[in-house]
Amino acid sequence: MSRDDSLEKSLKETTAGLIQYSPEGLVPFGPVHPALKEPEYFKIILEGEKIVQVIPRIGYAHRGIERAVQERTWIQAIYLVERICGICSFSHSLAFVQTVESLTEYEVPRRARYIRLIIAELERIHSHLLWLGLVGYWTGFDTLFMWIWRDRERVLDLIELITGNRIHKSYATITGVRRDLPENIERHIQDAMRYLTERVNFYKMVVNSEATILTRTKGIGWISPDVAVKLCPVGPLLRCMGFKRDVRVDDPYAAYDEIVPDVKTSTDSDVLSLINIRLAEVEDSIRMILEAITGIPTGPIKTTIPRTVPRGDGMGHVEAPRGELFYFVRSEGGNRPVRVKIRTPTLANILTATEMLKGHTLADVPVVLTGMDPCFGCMDRLTVIDLDKGKEWQITGEQLRKYGIEWYKRNGVGEK
Amino acid sequence: MMTWIFQLLVFPGLTFFVWIAFAFEWLERKTAAKIQSRVGPLTAGPKGLFQPVADYFKLIFKEEIVPRYSDKFVFLYGPPLYFSVPTIGAAFIPVLGMTGVLSHTYDLLFILFILAFSVLMASILGYAAGGRYATISIGRLVLQYTSYEVPLILSILAPVMLSRSLSLSKIVESQTNLWYVFYAPISFAVFLIVSLAELEKPPFDIPSAKTEIVAGWMTEFSGRALAYIKLTKNLNYVFLSALATTLYLGGPLLPINIQDDFIRSAVNLAGFLLKTFSVGFLIFVIKSALARIKIEQATSLLWTITTPLSFLQLLIIIILR
Amino acid sequence: MRRRIAIAIPEMVKTVFKVAVTKSYPFRELEVSERFRGKLDIDPDKCTGCGVCAIVCPASVITMVELGKRKIGDREVTIKRPVFNLYNCISCGQCVDDCRFNALRLTKEFELAVPDKNSLIMRKAIELAS
Repeated sequence: MSRDDSLEKSLKETTAGLIQYSPEGLVPFGPVHPALKEPEYFKIILEGEKIVQVIPRIGYAHRGIERAVQERTWIQAIYLVERICGICSFSHSLAFVQTVESLTEYEVPRRARYIRLIIAELERIHSHLLWLGLVGYWTGFDTLFMWIWRDRERVLDLIELITGNRIHKSYATITGVRRDLPENIERHIQDAMRYLTERVNFYKMVVNSEATILTRTKGIGWISPDVAVKLCPVGPLLRCMGFKRDVRVDDPYAAYDEIVPDVKTSTDSDVLSLINIRLAEVEDSIRMILEAITGIPTGPIKTTIPRTVPRGDGMGHVEAPRGELFYFVRSEGGNRPVRVKIRTPTLANILTATEMLKGHTLADVPVVLTGMDPCFGCMDRLTVIDLDKGKEWQITGEQLRKYGIEWYKRNGVGEK
Repeated sequence: MMTWIFQLLVFPGLTFFVWIAFAFEWLERKTAAKIQSRVGPLTAGPKGLFQPVADYFKLIFKEEIVPRYSDKFVFLYGPPLYFSVPTIGAAFIPVLGMTGVLSHTYDLLFILFILAFSVLMASILGYAAGGRYATISIGRLVLQYTSYEVPLILSILAPVMLSRSLSLSKIVESQTNLWYVFYAPISFAVFLIVSLAELEKPPFDIPSAKTEIVAGWMTEFSGRALAYIKLTKNLNYVFLSALATTLYLGGPLLPINIQDDFIRSAVNLAGFLLKTFSVGFLIFVIKSALARIKIEQATSLLWTITTPLSFLQLLIIIILR
Repeated sequence: MRRRIAIAIPEMVKTVFKVAVTKSYPFRELEVSERFRGKLDIDPDKCTGCGVCAIVCPASVITMVELGKRKIGDREVTIKRPVFNLYNCISCGQCVDDCRFNALRLTKEFELAVPDKNSLIMRKAIELAS
């Protein structure tokens, strides 16, 4: 089979004949690409320099976490779940822990809720700063990238002082947090927040007045809100279209009922408004952390850690830095979860991002894809839908391996 | 004859310029690091001075992967030809005195041809390698070239009109009283902007945009071919900075008058190095403060802003002379 | 805000005169915080061989090894001690939290790259008990 024939065949499979294209107009973006932190395959169909359609193909970072959780106890599952993603690791563990707590009858003490808020907001600052540095990197502005990541180190050092590690914090446990805050942490936090406030003001000034950044981000990725809402985006991508939705305000968890976030929206749905919304969220997080650390109540940091969880189905959601993170946990009264289902925000945003790219040029692809703040490591789950037979099931590892071997044999790949 | 060959190949010809190219790369990396609160190259040689040399030799010893559907002859033997372009051009630059090694009366025309030829070589190399990224990158490269060629020629025209000759030696000679940068500052600025476009540095980074098309036309090269290409990029950088000093900053001449031959050559050499490094540093500072723009915006910038400015400068020269 | 070009240049000039933030590791030692979770360490005198650490470990690092039998009253009890395969350890600290006798602690050591995986198996508890 010649190279062009197999390419055309695989294109027909994925597009299901929805679009007329020519194989020369296809630019593969990924899976391995300097622009992507994690591997995903975007087939970009071009006419000249204009993009006609972007077809995502996901599954490159799939690790079978939902299956692995079923073999671990409740406490061991927390450590597995927090390693789904490095950037939003505390959001995953917090969502899991809150879902399990909704199945038990224990109450989380007030001090633990405040501490959870502090760590969650610190993680939000770190994630947004990381993202802003990447916007600089992907538009070729290396200096801004290095400066922002230098300032992000202050946040990571602060997290290491409190939890012991910079990325995988291992801090939340069922009905509380594992350790208390150390002594003198208030002074460290206030110094770091003061430093960060003046740096964020500087970056706001740079991003909004530097001509080269403005030409790359203003008006790029515009999408009409009516079209976008049908594709269900979440997080800052939804807020940049004018919808005021934030899980922390609509359904408060941790200490967000006492320290209320200030949700910012914007009406022009382009990448520049995404940058401004995220910078405003960083400033808001700084305010909330300072409020929490000065008004933190004394008391216990956990009630009791249960070894078994009563039977039931639990659902919980948190506002990860990227959007709404949703967990479903089913327990049958034992010491292991029977089913855990995770819906990450990037999975909800990816179709909106591919829709935003229509009509733009190839140079806009990294900017728009970064704009939705992708975290493909969180995203990949596998469900097999057989349209002919009308069935849907989870596939086991052995079946997948056999299917892969037969597919390659059928399509003659891997032979001489 | 022997002195001529020595001058051509060693000093101030090929080897000298290659060492200056390595020094430029070191300066670029070290200053970039200082600006970004890091340390740059540190351990290879004193303060990392031998880091570019080490990188060059590492690439030479690596395996070359030749893609299956590429033009193997051009792929393997094209890069040395691409490497020869700025080296020949550099032989025309006056370094030690008023004349370069290969100077003659019409050498500026040959330099313009060389600048066009290097873009052609880059396109040929990209097509030889093949692949989607190279195709897109060459389209952008040629488009950018057609946009910056007119401002380039116009900004080179200003010193030609001021000195009434096409020879680099004559241009350097007629700057003994006052450097041309004071007569034609707008053209100097336009020349710097056009150098950014020629050297593929931000904001005109477009043909080899790292995060959109991996490395553009350079993607498939590895091993010795890549070593040559990277060295040629550095040599282009040196060549354009040296051209800027020769045309606008008076070449190697400093406003000191010395009788002794040998010391005068040494002072000329020091003056040339000082000015070339300053121009390189200026280009570098502009480059690291700007993001990359898109190809449509680059062409519109080059046509609507730099071309009229250089015309304006030529008009001013005609009126005032 | 008004459009400007190369607005970052003043900040660039300021940053040149400040000290670089790069830490000169490995030429100098790297300081970590007090609570840093590094390599696991056991105090063999305090360990009683209850086996709780082996049950709760998420990464299956700990295996209990039988060392012999002892008579307590008229019961026969097997003496067990833990062996740690530290190449799998994620330094979460769950065993430290759950050990009632405070025999385990996480040190500040983090340079754990070795050429041979077997050199990271910690047998301190068996060696000193037998």
